[in-house]
Amino acid sequence: MIAVIGLVVGVVAGLLLQPTVPVELQPYLPIAVVAALDALFGGLRAMLDGIFDDRVFLTSFLSNVVVAALIVFLGDQLGVGTQLSTAVVVVLGIRIFSNAASIRRHLFKA
Amino acid sequence: MSTRHSAESARPLDASMTLLNEVYRRPLDPGYAQAAARRAENPSHRTVRSGTGLLVLAVVLGLLVTTATLSLRRPAGSVVAARHLLEQQIVQRGDEAAELQGRVETLSAEIARMQDELLREEEPGLGAQLASDAVASGAVPVTGPGLRVVLTDGPTDDPDVLDSPSRVRDSDLQVLVNGLWAAGAEAVSVNGERITSMTAIRSAGDAVLVDLVALASPYTVDAIGDAPGMQTRLAQASAGQYLATLRNSYDIGVKMSSEHSLSLAGTGQTTFYYATVPPEHAPKVSPTPSATDDDGRATGSAPTGGGMAGSAGRSGRDGT
Repeated sequence: MIAVIGLVVGVVAGLLLQPTVPVELQPYLPIAVVAALDALFGGLRAMLDGIFDDRVFLTSFLSNVVVAALIVFLGDQLGVGTQLSTAVVVVLGIRIFSNAASIRRHLFKA
Repeated sequence: MSTRHSAESARPLDASMTLLNEVYRRPLDPGYAQAAARRAENPSHRTVRSGTGLLVLAVVLGLLVTTATLSLRRPAGSVVAARHLLEQQIVQRGDEAAELQGRVETLSAEIARMQDELLREEEPGLGAQLASDAVASGAVPVTGPGLRVVLTDGPTDDPDVLDSPSRVRDSDLQVLVNGLWAAGAEAVSVNGERITSMTAIRSAGDAVLVDLVALASPYTVDAIGDAPGMQTRLAQASAGQYLATLRNSYDIGVKMSSEHSLSLAGTGQTTFYYATVPPEHAPKVSPTPSATDDDGRATGSAPTGGGMAGSAGRSGRDGT
């Protein structure tokens, strides 16, 4: 529960403070947000499965965001940023979908 | 990774699709299962310190993601604002340019009037020569009967195709304007832009530029002169065949009409920064017999006429 409380506090703080992101980091934001969504759905599913763990949730969250940003950075350096972004979005998208399907089965038993 | 391999007891049938299967069948981080297993072994090993660390990490992550989301939503507004600003600037600068052009025209008219007044008293021959030069160089507005040719872009299936062959191109206008000069036009304008010795017809990207003004279809080319004669000579020359090809092969609309009265705008006086008249050809200012005077002016004015023909000729060569 610590992780959830912390995240909520962070979100509220972000909404209140409205910090600005440096321009150099702007390209990595969309992928980072998708990666964060993936971690969120994973965490929700684990919670419904009864195996939720704060540490695993937060580390997967952090590593997802960092790895996604790194991949985009690497892609930009190699000139294949768009393609790599697409690859990341496809993989994360599939994971989000199947996690969401699993959550749906948990909630509606269907 | 090792747990995954131990979990898979037998080699799956679709081994070649391991990546997709891995992503689709096991979307949950295996770490959750591991952590659950660890907790089952020794239930209470969480310390206060690790709990605080997790809380801080969670707050930071929440803050980061919220910031990212907010700043991703924000640029849409700023882009619109920037676009609006650019539009405003375009309109404003356009108005400024139009105002300045109007001023140029007023001042040119004043200059012409004052020159006229001055020369009418002192040197009537020079005044007439100057007036005809001003017409030829395109400095003053002119009216007269003439020929109007309208070129219209042909219909396209997809308006987004930029380089469609049925669009009127700069080379088409160059050929037409050249043809009109060759057919005896005395003054030519394209969509109101007077063609002078310093006017270029060219394309920049998708637009046709005449004297640096971007024009769009339909292109109205007005030429003052003997309309029936010009029409005949234009049809006989290669420009006429070119226009026929445009009409027949590319569906470009070509409409010709004789006009009783065309009004062509003037460009105002051209300021030369580098070109000077050599001393031996300089117009004589001192009172002289009118014959010599005319001679002097004629040679002085020759570069203007020659420059005009050269400009039109050059544009034509560019196109071919």
